[in-house]
Formats: sequence, C-alpha cells, structure tokens
Amino acid sequence: MAHDEQTVIKQQGIYRIIVTDTAGTYTEKNKNDVLIDGSHFGINSAEMAVKAGAQGRIGNDAGIGKNNAGIAGLKLLDQHGIPGAAVSAMSAKIGVGASTYATGKVSSVNEAAKKLGIKVGMTAKEAADIMFQALLKKAK
Amino acid sequence: MVHEVHKIVKQQGKYRIAIANSATSITGDNKNDVFICASHSGINVGQYAAQANVKGFIGNDAGIGLEEAGVAGLKVLDEKGIPGAAVSSMSAEIGVGPTTYETGVISVVNKAAQKIGIKSGITAKQAADLMLQAAVKQGK
Repeated sequence: MAHDEQTVIKQQGIYRIIVTDTAGTYTEKNKNDVLIDGSHFGINSAEMAVKAGAQGRIGNDAGIGKNNAGIAGLKLLDQHGIPGAAVSAMSAKIGVGASTYATGKVSSVNEAAKKLGIKVGMTAKEAADIMFQALLKKAK
Repeated sequence: MVHEVHKIVKQQGKYRIAIANSATSITGDNKNDVFICASHSGINVGQYAAQANVKGFIGNDAGIGLEEAGVAGLKVLDEKGIPGAAVSSMSAEIGVGPTTYETGVISVVNKAAQKIGIKSGITAKQAADLMLQAAVKQGK
C-alpha cells in the first residue's frame, strides 16, 4: 500500500542520497544509498533499512517516547556498522521525507554516526552530506 | 510494500481487530478491519488506511510534533468517514504494534471517532472495541 516514490537528491557514481516518506519503500536497490525518510526511528523501520543494506539513514525521533522506542532503531543500525541519526519531531514533519531533509535538526545519533563526526544539533542536510562523503571515501 | 502477518485479536462476523507493526503492511484485505498499528498517524499513513477502506484506525501520535504532523492522517480518514485515533507516544512503543493495543492511551481522535464515543484518555482497547461495534452495527 505504500507506493511512495524515492527522490534522488545527490548522486556520485553508484552512490546516492535518497529521500522518501516511508521506510516501507526500502529494497535492496537502496544498498548504495544514504536514506532519508519521514518514518520514526523505531526498531521495525531500522530493520527495513538494514534489510535493504543501507549505507546510512536519517529518520524522525517521533518525540522519542516510551522506552525511547522512537529511536530504538539507532542501536540496531550500529550492530551493522550503519551510521544513523534521527531529527527532532519538532524540527520536521513526521511522514514527510522532504521535511526531514529540508528542516530536520539532528536530536540523536548512533555510534557509527558519531565516528564520522555527526553531532546533535546539526541539520539533517549536514549529517547526510557527512554520511555521503564517508561512503565515497570508503568506496575508493 | 512491507509484508507482515497481522495478528487478529477479535473477530465478529467478517469484522476484525487486526494488529500490525507498520501501516505500510495495510492492503485491501484489511477493508473489514479495525487496523491497529505502531506507525505514526501522519498524512501518508492516513492515506494508506483510507485507500484500504479500513473500518477504523489506531496509530501512535509520535509526539504530535511539527505542525501536528504526527496526527495529520486522522483528518484524511475523516474525509472518508473512517474513525481514527492516536495513542500518546508516552503510553506505547512506536514501531511495536502490540504495545499500541495493550498499553496505548488515546491522545487524539478524529470527528468520525468522536461520533461513536471515542475520547482522549480511554485505552486503545476500548477505542478498538467501539470501532468494531460500530462496524458490526453499520454492516447489519
């Protein structure tokens, strides 16, 4: 039922930054991508990114909420060495991927993202660029 | 887009209460269901549920967030007269469907839900039962 499109924001060789409304659109075609979406960063949406073989992901912290469920997926990405960051629910409209990218401010990061220099307070655009540059560097 | 086996917690005739983690797993097969999930209740999620013509919808309010995007989908459901409600992100774990049903407390309701007696502060279970009874009554 989720027929949302994926928009390519940047591309260099086979590597891309992709924006989409929902993590439900992720497939193995995204294995060379930094993924930006409007989904929460709970455990199931992170599983979708891991299954797709994503190179990085930025989602929404969904107000973080009970048992930090809104960002529980960041740890899962760490288990696979994938950098992950969530933007504050007050900085971007959940469900709207373009909003995550355009106005999102990073509120939570995982260990893999920290290692790349991604920090709380950065814009989603800055974080995405850092993930993308790290990916290009790794591929060399 | 996402394949998930929905857990059926109640059934009355052809009408059911179905639980899923993600709204991206909704299909036309859910047209007789009160659909409970742990997605945010944003615009795209409202669209998936409306397209499937579900009999009722309960999701997570995702902290409500910027421009109330976390519950923007409830209005989409109202356009089709479908009762919709969201549970507080502090009452249930976003991304984990069973917690919406087991521990969720309603924070936001749409007009169609109000009409059948659903109010903020009641449990997700109570709200789901009201939606199921309304569907059964309407189906008679």
